Amino acid sequence: MKKKLLAIISIATLLFLAACSGGNESSSAGEGSDTNDQGIESFTYASLTDAVGLSPILTNDSASANVTDHVYEKLFERNAETMEIEPQLAESYENPDENTWIIKLKQGVKFHDGTDFNADAVKYTFDKLRDPATAAPRASLMEPVDTITVVDDYTVEIKTKYPYGPFLASLSHSNAAIVSPEADQNGDINKDPVGTGPFKFVSWVPGDQVVLEANKDYRDGAPAIQKLIFKVVPEISTAISMLQTGEVQFIDKLPTEQIERVEGLKNVNVEKVDGTPQYYFTVNHSKEEFQDAELREALASAIDRDAFISKMKGLGIRSDSVIGSKVFGYKEEADNAGTPYDLEKAKELVKKNGYDKKTYTLLSPNRNNFILMSEVVQAQLTEAGFNVNIESMEWASFLDTARDGNYDMTFLSWSNLTADGSELFYPNFHSDNVGASNRAQYSNPEFDQLVEQSRTTTDQEKRLEILDQANRLMLEDHAIVNMYHDVVTAAMENSYKGLILEPTGKWNLSEVTRK
Amino acid sequence: MIGMIIRRFFQLIFLLFGISFLVFSSMYLAPGDPASMIGGPTASESDIEAIRENLGLNEPFLTQYASYVGGLVQGDLGYSYQTRQSVSEAIAVRLPNTLKLAIASMIVAIIIGILAGLISALKHNSWLDVGSTTFALAGISIPNFWMGAVLILVFAVNLQWLPVGGMSSPWYTIEGMKELILPAITLGTGAAAMIARMTRSSMLEVIRADYVRTARAKGVKESSVIWIHTLKNAMIPVLTVIGVNFGSLLGGTIITEKVFAINGVGRLMIDAIAARDFPMVQGSVLLVATLFVLVNLIVDIVYTYVDPRIKYQ
Repeated sequence: MKKKLLAIISIATLLFLAACSGGNESSSAGEGSDTNDQGIESFTYASLTDAVGLSPILTNDSASANVTDHVYEKLFERNAETMEIEPQLAESYENPDENTWIIKLKQGVKFHDGTDFNADAVKYTFDKLRDPATAAPRASLMEPVDTITVVDDYTVEIKTKYPYGPFLASLSHSNAAIVSPEADQNGDINKDPVGTGPFKFVSWVPGDQVVLEANKDYRDGAPAIQKLIFKVVPEISTAISMLQTGEVQFIDKLPTEQIERVEGLKNVNVEKVDGTPQYYFTVNHSKEEFQDAELREALASAIDRDAFISKMKGLGIRSDSVIGSKVFGYKEEADNAGTPYDLEKAKELVKKNGYDKKTYTLLSPNRNNFILMSEVVQAQLTEAGFNVNIESMEWASFLDTARDGNYDMTFLSWSNLTADGSELFYPNFHSDNVGASNRAQYSNPEFDQLVEQSRTTTDQEKRLEILDQANRLMLEDHAIVNMYHDVVTAAMENSYKGLILEPTGKWNLSEVTRK
Repeated sequence: MIGMIIRRFFQLIFLLFGISFLVFSSMYLAPGDPASMIGGPTASESDIEAIRENLGLNEPFLTQYASYVGGLVQGDLGYSYQTRQSVSEAIAVRLPNTLKLAIASMIVAIIIGILAGLISALKHNSWLDVGSTTFALAGISIPNFWMGAVLILVFAVNLQWLPVGGMSSPWYTIEGMKELILPAITLGTGAAAMIARMTRSSMLEVIRADYVRTARAKGVKESSVIWIHTLKNAMIPVLTVIGVNFGSLLGGTIITEKVFAINGVGRLMIDAIAARDFPMVQGSVLLVATLFVLVNLIVDIVYTYVDPRIKYQ
């Protein structure tokens, strides 16, 4: 017995030592950093969540979009620097009238399965996206579409039910990417995606990693990265350690509490871009008591945004404007058009109207900066004389509770992926969506009218003016308090260059090369 | 013995139905709508409604449950709401990782736990005993996520001996073993502490038993007294602790899987709960429950070998 036990202990010790001493090089050099003259052999991105699926039609989450954006392409895309919408698979477009979009397509483009990209593929994709039987999460992108007609192999005509101003923004959304009809009909593109993009699909082990390879026939030249790996690493501190040791080369969405650690790493470059995502404080507009403009003003005056942003280590942009600086509809003058921080005024209003006699609930999801935001704002409101209790809950319950309007005050956020003001205002604040995506329950007929105009006007200059008016109207109404506009972040090993980081938080690795 | 095994399997079937009903109803009653999680905050009401219809979420509770159980009896765990992939496939991909982790952690726990417990009992009231019980207390008290983070910083980031995370190589390769070491230590120390405490108290009890004194009086060598007469008999309660801990390890790997980026069933389950992916939650809970019952059955069978007095009718 003694000998047996000793033998077991010895073997275990030996195994441990062998494991510790053997093959050190791979953990320090990393699995994905090796290069040759032609390009980068492999490059790994640590993703905090796994892709839900690999079909742009059936998904609506950022982890899936990170993959699909490299495999598929859209008719249009937003330029990350200018934020202008430019053709991608489209060649050009024209509007013979306000309801008609004639889109000419690029010729000679092939899907990864060898089939031609043409007008049939566009019609097939959009019809599938809007077919109720598909139950696509972003079917609403095609909501204004009436008919899609193939004019010839490389021309498609889309008629909308009404003039639709942000249509190009919708067509540049990740979920409006064009799929190979043949691959979709004969297989499952949610598992085995086939697009026209710079990378081809290789494999996916759900929960572990997605592997793509360079599309050697890509029309703008094959990317330098030969093998692109999206590895699931759910814990951000683990992902940062992996970046430090070279196990991964790229991470994104750096949280406030970790930014200093990442910036301190010698082998890493941190990229920051003023972003489209935003976080705001709102009252529950469906409650009678919040129809009182003085109560809303007292709340807005009591919230010191600068004090909160100073805790964000440079990852928040201060602006009153509901529409952020990277979103269409923004005007610089709106930056200071909100209710200024004025504690004395807030105290006065609280005292005058007896707001201190009631206890309010501040609903907050228990993730990201929401926790910090609710703690800071609770303290500030208390200072002004309000009695505020925080009610914290996990994301799924929060979304439902806020949607159903079961709260007094809350924090909401919006990622603004289309970077268009109409696409911010309509789902979030138009009365059509109260009880659904309008979780602030905001309803203002004058505002509704402006938002509708912004959607049904195709003249972009006019749209800009209308959106600005709607923006100011909300601010004058003390409807919400914009806490901050996000600074989107990513960190890449500093021996690489060519990352395209978009204000929406999306990124593109197809132009990444060795320095 | 065979009768006992058959009886246990029948109990397992009833247990699984009970669990499936409990999980199904608690997920049904819990706040949070699977359709809004799929659509995300950006989806419109009509998008959400279409998803709900497509998934059959508008059906009454009993219809939904009956349809689920109907599939279950045919061995069909259904399809994930989120990924639209088969639940059995999703579990099959992850189960080997969880098993690897649980077994490796159990090995760590048994080696450390029994050794520490033995030393503590044999050197009762010495500094070794104090050290060992302090270790046991620390093992139970230190949270996994903290221990994991510290081990990563020391052994992966600073010393660079071991990888930070991931589990993609086969376990019998050097790479595979290196991937297992830190997670197994993180997860195993808690169980080791419990095994150590149980071994210590059980050893102290047995070592004072009459038959041990008799053995000593007969002039049996001290080592034989410890290894043959004492340890084997002291192992019975320890086996129970090992069995229960192994069962918990199978279901309790969530935090370790998250910290070490291991694609296991624990993570699958917690992600499914967050996304209100009912079929995936059901599938993984049923799996963990089945494994738990099986492990306990194995422990019961092992009892009969360790203690021949135990017989099952």
